[in-house]
Amino acid sequence: MASRAIAAAVVAAAAVAFPFAAPHAEYAIDVLFLIFLYGAMATAWNYIGGFAGQVSFGHAAFLGIGAYTTMIMIQSNISLWIAVPVSALLPGLYSLLIGIPAFRLRGPYFSIATIGIGEATRLIALNLNSLTGGASGLTLASAPPKVVLYFAALALCAASIAIAAWIKSSRFGYALAAVRQDPDAAETLGVATTVTKTQALFLSACVLGVAGSVYALYYQFISPDSVFGFSTAISFVIMPIIGGIGTISGPLIGAVVYTFVREQLTALLANFSNADLLAFGLLLIAIVVFEPRGILGIVDMLRRRMRAKPPDAVADG
Amino acid sequence: MSYGLALIYGVLKIINLANAGFLMLGAYVTWWLFTSFNIHPLLAPLAIVPVFFVVGWGLERVLVRRVLHAEPIISLLLLFGVWLVVQSLAYVIWTGDSRSIETAFIEATVNLGGIQLALPRIYVFAMGILVLVALQLFLTRTYLGRAIRATAQDRDAARLVGVDVDRVMGIAFGIGIALAGLGGSLLSLLFSFTPDFGHALSLKSFCIVVLGGLDSIVGVAFGSIVLSLAEAFGVRYMPASLQNLISFVVLVVVLVALPKGIVGTLRAMRRG
Amino acid sequence: MAETAAEATETILSGRALTKRFGGLVAVNDVDVDVQRGEILGLIGPNGAGKSTLFRLIAGIMPPTSGTVSFLGRGITGRPAHDVCVAGVVATHQIVRPFREMSVLENVMVGAFFGRRPRPHGVPAAREAALEALALCALETRANSPARALNLSGQKRLEIARALATRPQVLLLDEVLAGLNPTETDRTLELVREIRDRGVTIVMVEHNLRAVRGLCSRIVVLVEGRKIVEGDPDAVLNDERVVTAYLGATHA
Repeated sequence: MASRAIAAAVVAAAAVAFPFAAPHAEYAIDVLFLIFLYGAMATAWNYIGGFAGQVSFGHAAFLGIGAYTTMIMIQSNISLWIAVPVSALLPGLYSLLIGIPAFRLRGPYFSIATIGIGEATRLIALNLNSLTGGASGLTLASAPPKVVLYFAALALCAASIAIAAWIKSSRFGYALAAVRQDPDAAETLGVATTVTKTQALFLSACVLGVAGSVYALYYQFISPDSVFGFSTAISFVIMPIIGGIGTISGPLIGAVVYTFVREQLTALLANFSNADLLAFGLLLIAIVVFEPRGILGIVDMLRRRMRAKPPDAVADG
Repeated sequence: MSYGLALIYGVLKIINLANAGFLMLGAYVTWWLFTSFNIHPLLAPLAIVPVFFVVGWGLERVLVRRVLHAEPIISLLLLFGVWLVVQSLAYVIWTGDSRSIETAFIEATVNLGGIQLALPRIYVFAMGILVLVALQLFLTRTYLGRAIRATAQDRDAARLVGVDVDRVMGIAFGIGIALAGLGGSLLSLLFSFTPDFGHALSLKSFCIVVLGGLDSIVGVAFGSIVLSLAEAFGVRYMPASLQNLISFVVLVVVLVALPKGIVGTLRAMRRG
Repeated sequence: MAETAAEATETILSGRALTKRFGGLVAVNDVDVDVQRGEILGLIGPNGAGKSTLFRLIAGIMPPTSGTVSFLGRGITGRPAHDVCVAGVVATHQIVRPFREMSVLENVMVGAFFGRRPRPHGVPAAREAALEALALCALETRANSPARALNLSGQKRLEIARALATRPQVLLLDEVLAGLNPTETDRTLELVREIRDRGVTIVMVEHNLRAVRGLCSRIVVLVEGRKIVEGDPDAVLNDERVVTAYLGATHA
């Protein structure tokens, strides 16, 4: 455990120092920003997707609502200090609303319903032209400097992971695990499964709302396809699966891989706009078939194999 | 196509997201056969159904089988991955441009008692009913059909009474995918399509299955009718782009009000 | 006999006119059942008699088609299972359902965290409570083993420990002796007695009639969904109707 804490501290220190050490490495900062933002979002997705076991393909809805809320408020000259918390709260409230019908569904059904929810939200955003600018999206004239937002993303990522760590070892975490493994048995032991799921989703949605806020400020442009798009939604599923679904650091690891792969693919195959779909589809199949616990699962398996090896120097006889 | 989904779910207790992908493929293959080989789209199913059956069967044997013992979400994710792969391949091969099939048949209309009806629509509708009936008969009257249903209800019990569960699973999956391809082929007669084709339809299909309750083909037919009516009704009052929303809204309403789906609730009422 | 008026026998859990229909089949037909505080009530009957269904009705796992269930005078009919548990009624499952990815201790901690109030505050307190329940069920040495590593007898005891951790007033056991060898059966019977001695009222659905005779203070017999006899174990088990129900009419 200590080695992990040290590794985390080193990584965190490096991440904080980076913009000061290499202030003009704009591309690198862009990529790191993306990694931390995605890491924050994937980790938050994991609260409901990994810990509670309810795989949602519709989480982009929360990102989008957060992003649009911030955009609209800033454009109306409302201070950031108000816009950001509201951008966290609105997706949370939305999650409560959709949770009512959605949590009546079990397992795969729930997941499919979330596809619909994501799509529906996107369509609504697309059509509320007066508010959201429709298909052409919204732009921001000015925003805090990118370095500041880099640190915001880093802080959000750290917070998201801290929340995950807290959940895992708390009473709430036990409830989530019970709901994931056997909701009926959990009910008979006094776990209010629907309330538990709702709480996890709410938390998840709020974090994504803040992430949406940061996203909007960084890129200064959002559109229904960029924030509500299906490929965004599925990235939240793919990242934790790659890294290790249901773990604390897995989603961040997945975010690193995901961002890296995407950057490489766009660099190498500029024409294949859907190469990443193909790559991640294949990766998904491979992971699910061979090691559903993702990278951390592979690491764990290797560690066990090494422990099981007999010591080299064994006394004869 | 909803039947394919209902069948696959029913038998394998797996929600097959890949169905959407194969639906889309069905449409594209039909188009490809037509433009490259001049095969009339009405004949395309003759090739599509067997080929897709084999593909579906192969998919089950190679991939799906490995994850059957795990939580159902794993198979969902697996098939989701398959869908992503299929969709991206379609983009690569055929690009994202919209395609459609144009022959005399597509334009043909028929005059029934003074109303002009598009012939393709009638054809697709008739085929849909035909497939529905054939499927229902297959599932209830043949040994294989009943074996499939038995496996759907209880895999181990089916094994105990001598059903070759492995073979049945492969066949059921093959049928499901073949139906998806057939559905896509039929739909290609009515709509133009892009690789995203299966997407919205998959959602509607899911809505239908939930509306109608999962257990019966009749339920699925019922669900289809309800949804179509709701959509036809909604189209009058809503902008076209929101059309897909209708199915979703209906779904939410039904779920909140009647957790067992419409057919399930009716059945429970009849019993109680 | 007159002295017992001083010890009030209180009805702690009761069902009235309980009926459950599945389609055309009536599994439980207009059954009244009263559970007295501190007793071990046996619920027996031939296969298909509706015991498990009645069990689920009074445990709150399944709502009745008609009829009511009340606990400590308050109605609990149709309440969600978690409410029933928090009120003080908990049931084990006939086919054991441990949380497979958790350890034995963690399984029981779930019960400790979410059962009847007052609940332990914080993880260490829940762990303490869970260890107590495990100790009673002779599982404390396996506390850190994965739940799925236990054999059947161990998993059954885990099921009981987990339910106990919810601090129930009424513990419902569904065929807890099924599949156990004689040694394991005796140990479990001892355990049940110990649990009763700690003030928990117990209702058991059982097939093992010998065990039931020795353990239960009262027995209720169900045949084809109806209650046909209830009372003292010896009287009930020798009752002609019960013998006939189990062995067939020719055996009277």
